[in-house]
Amino acid sequence: MEIKTTGVAGTLESSDIQIMISKGDDGIQIDLDSEVIKAYGDQIKKVITDTLEKYGIDNAKVKAVDKGALDCVIAARTLAAAQRATETSDRPELGVLQ
Amino acid sequence: MTYIKNRLRRTMMFVPGNNPAMVKDAGIYGADSIMLDLEDAVSLTEKDAARMLVFNAIKTVDFGGAEIVVRINGQDTPFYDEDVKAMVRAGVDVIRLPKTESADMIQKLVTDIENVEKEYGVEKGSIGVMAAIESAKGVLNTPEIATATPLMMGLAVSGEDYTADMHTHRYPDGRELEFARNMVLQAARAADVYAFDTVFSNMNDTEGFYRETRYIYELGYDGKSLVNPRQIPMVNEVFNPSKEEIENAMAVQNAISEAKAKGSGVISMNGKMVDKPVVEKANRVIETAKASNLIDEEGNYIGK
Amino acid sequence: MIDHTVGLIDDNGKLVGTGSIAGNVLKYIAVTNENAVQGARFSQIVTALQQYLYSIKCYHSFVFTKAQYATSFSHLGFNEVARTDEAAFLESGTPNIDDFVSNIPNPYKGKNKKVAAIVMNANPFTKGHQQLVELASKENDLVYVFVVQTDASLFKTDERLNLVKQGTADFKNVLVISGGDYMVSKSTFPAYFLKSSDELITTQTQIDAHVFKNFIAPSLSITRRYLGTEPFSRTTSFYNQSLSSILNPEIEVKIINRFQANEQVITATYVRQLIKEDKLAEIASFVPNSTMQFISANKEALQTRIRKGMNINGN
Repeated sequence: MEIKTTGVAGTLESSDIQIMISKGDDGIQIDLDSEVIKAYGDQIKKVITDTLEKYGIDNAKVKAVDKGALDCVIAARTLAAAQRATETSDRPELGVLQ
Repeated sequence: MTYIKNRLRRTMMFVPGNNPAMVKDAGIYGADSIMLDLEDAVSLTEKDAARMLVFNAIKTVDFGGAEIVVRINGQDTPFYDEDVKAMVRAGVDVIRLPKTESADMIQKLVTDIENVEKEYGVEKGSIGVMAAIESAKGVLNTPEIATATPLMMGLAVSGEDYTADMHTHRYPDGRELEFARNMVLQAARAADVYAFDTVFSNMNDTEGFYRETRYIYELGYDGKSLVNPRQIPMVNEVFNPSKEEIENAMAVQNAISEAKAKGSGVISMNGKMVDKPVVEKANRVIETAKASNLIDEEGNYIGK
Repeated sequence: MIDHTVGLIDDNGKLVGTGSIAGNVLKYIAVTNENAVQGARFSQIVTALQQYLYSIKCYHSFVFTKAQYATSFSHLGFNEVARTDEAAFLESGTPNIDDFVSNIPNPYKGKNKKVAAIVMNANPFTKGHQQLVELASKENDLVYVFVVQTDASLFKTDERLNLVKQGTADFKNVLVISGGDYMVSKSTFPAYFLKSSDELITTQTQIDAHVFKNFIAPSLSITRRYLGTEPFSRTTSFYNQSLSSILNPEIEVKIINRFQANEQVITATYVRQLIKEDKLAEIASFVPNSTMQFISANKEALQTRIRKGMNINGN
């Protein structure tokens, strides 16, 4: 899946996560900002990576600002950002979330 | 989750579909139904993201046994088709159609739901529908809307849009909504579906909220739409049966048990025949009393 | 100046927060935390402002704030680019300052060569600019000429950049690069483009100097910065003071006296005045041929811009 533009989804509000996805050429590079990075950083990155890979994105720069989001929120925001970045938001791929 | 036609629906709490904090906590307040909103509470640019969030929340968040309703975007918007698809796949209990004005609109929704059910192997008829009545035309067509499908869960009055359509706005006494409230309730009762009153948004006017809730309770409404969890115990308080009503209902149920034990088809209490509406009312009272912990397992009154 | 403003209304219809956007800079954010979770409304305002920027396909934003509020923005994913005792400058999103510097050619990284930098608006490129570049070119192995990106001058951004490129084409060790958002831009240094108080100019020039010192110079191995004296511009003289005090000693600051032609100091301000007065013949002694040709070919367009209200007396 080709990244055509920068895609952002999510907010900076409590229990949410803001995900910004832009073009990359070196795998999935995640720059994560989270107050719970020590305890949950790896898990958050795993959910983001899994969601992107399932959607068919292998190279991307990801900037994530986590405000204590649940896994289901992280996955939903990642997919929304990815579909915006690939300009495919009008054809939601909910299968990726299952 | 599967749609259940008859259940307790005193409170239907609106939750903005793009707000993870509110979606995550929606189940902890004890609302009978939770209405996750993809329509008015979500800006046009966030429809895609909200749909995904609600989809994933329905699949994973524990809503504490509440019924899950999703208000999708209207049939005149580009979001409708994907909303229906996503909510059927998520396994929502009820889909609420905004701005309903005819039976055709409900039948289109049911057909669209069935098509998605077929495509994704979801059991047919596992999702109920409800109609939000928000215009003069919608109010006048409530009889056909309420009977449009066996999957109809209920009708809801939506005061803001309706009053705008009527060239007025909301007033504290609610006279501007009188006709709509009665029409929706009549249509719902005639079709044996539920009736829900509109939201009351001034959180500081507690007295006004109680007054309106008592009023719609007396009319015969099943429940009220809410925007703030603080309103849940207030609605329950109004809808809770009194000690006398509960004891009377218990007596009716005992009479039924007695009649069954005797093998008699006729139920009588204090020498009088008990007919079907009375039995149903008694059942509703007991169900409400149980949900509000007003009786213990043996049926003894434990309220204040 | 302001492109977009949001207001946050509570359940009672009371205004409890606001924020604005100018370009890609977040401005005038204010919230009351009365009856609210600390920080919740602030997050809502920042989110709303960023979502506005995303809606116009802008994924990179800045904030210039009092130093004590920097952490509030850090919590929302902003990275600090520079700070002084009073102020902090932070950015969020992509492409960020690391992306900016990594896209600039850097042939002498780690090679212990003399690398210098000049930042100029070149509105337009004059013989004074040319002689400054020539001097730096002779004294160093490589010279970066950063041209101000903000489009707020009589000569448009691409016109200025092209005139600098043409006017320095003979110097083989000179690289002409857009200064982007980081060198004398509307984001770091709005006072350069608008009449401002001394205090504000000082703070902004300090921030600009810190950005150069923290990020630009180290990643491009720059060890010298050349400045022209500015006899007429108050802002520029403040800027030169800030650069001297902050960049030294890690980066040597060389302040060069203005060059003269016909016993007159060459300034772009004077050239613009002559364009306004339609005295093109007099311009020739102050600007290189390439700039002269451009002015002659575009005289009417330039004069129209002036008539339409373009300020020619600033920078």
